[in-house]
Amino acid sequence: MEIISNSCPSTHFPVAHKAISLDIKGNKTDIVICKYDDNFLVMVTQIGCMGSILRARKEESVSVDPTFNVSVVFGKRDEPYLLACARQLIENISCGSSRPLVLSLGLKDHSPGTLKDVISAVIDNRLW
Amino acid sequence: MASGELNLDFSAQHISTDAHCNGKGKILEDQAIDSDVQITCFTEDLHDVTLHFQIIKLAKQIYVWIGCNTARFGHLYAAAATRPNNAVSVTSLIGGSSDNAGSSIARRLGLKTGLSIVLACNIPKDSPMVEATAERKLVEKLRNLGYIKATPEGMRVTLAES
Repeated sequence: MEIISNSCPSTHFPVAHKAISLDIKGNKTDIVICKYDDNFLVMVTQIGCMGSILRARKEESVSVDPTFNVSVVFGKRDEPYLLACARQLIENISCGSSRPLVLSLGLKDHSPGTLKDVISAVIDNRLW
Repeated sequence: MASGELNLDFSAQHISTDAHCNGKGKILEDQAIDSDVQITCFTEDLHDVTLHFQIIKLAKQIYVWIGCNTARFGHLYAAAATRPNNAVSVTSLIGGSSDNAGSSIARRLGLKTGLSIVLACNIPKDSPMVEATAERKLVEKLRNLGYIKATPEGMRVTLAES
């Protein structure tokens, strides 16, 4: 797996971002991660467009166990692995941050192996 | 995979300070090019507001974020050509409604570029001047980047994929 990475130190621009390009199961995958004041955006594409857009956030709850709200706002609503991917990432984010996540997945295949590689690539290059 | 195949293009990232000042503020530009994903970030300082722009160009789509003073994400809209007649339709995905600033900007960008657009925008609701200025600066930048091309007749055509 070969990773090409560019990151913006954002000394002037208020939004930090990181862009990487890698190969996942033979498909060239571009990942862009942006950090806004109140949100994280993760864009994963193999098909030249954003694909399905999901939103994930941690619910404030009184109990100790956190609950998460994950939904598709645009695109494929019948692919459970996309929701699982968003769920994994928001759980990782919420260890250190309470910001919600907007995730876009434009993938050629939605197999669990591909999504696991996507998740680990995003976490390796996280901005949270 | 050959380990020697490291054709990295770190030189693609550069920061240019544009001394060209239109009298209203200065422009700081930061551009990173990464294969099929082209990211352009810049800021426009106007008299009373600061507008931040982030453009991410994918092969078949453009994502734009417009920040008004803050780096809040704002409302999210999508615009694309739809049936019939390839008229451009717009919808709000997160927050927003049809009378928020981003909605009409997204639709006009979709018309001008011919690509589908995803726009995040935190411009306040009743600020037509800010909205118009933001759109103008954005279209100017998209034209400079070659994402919108003007024909000699003055009509806009889309840029075929580079």
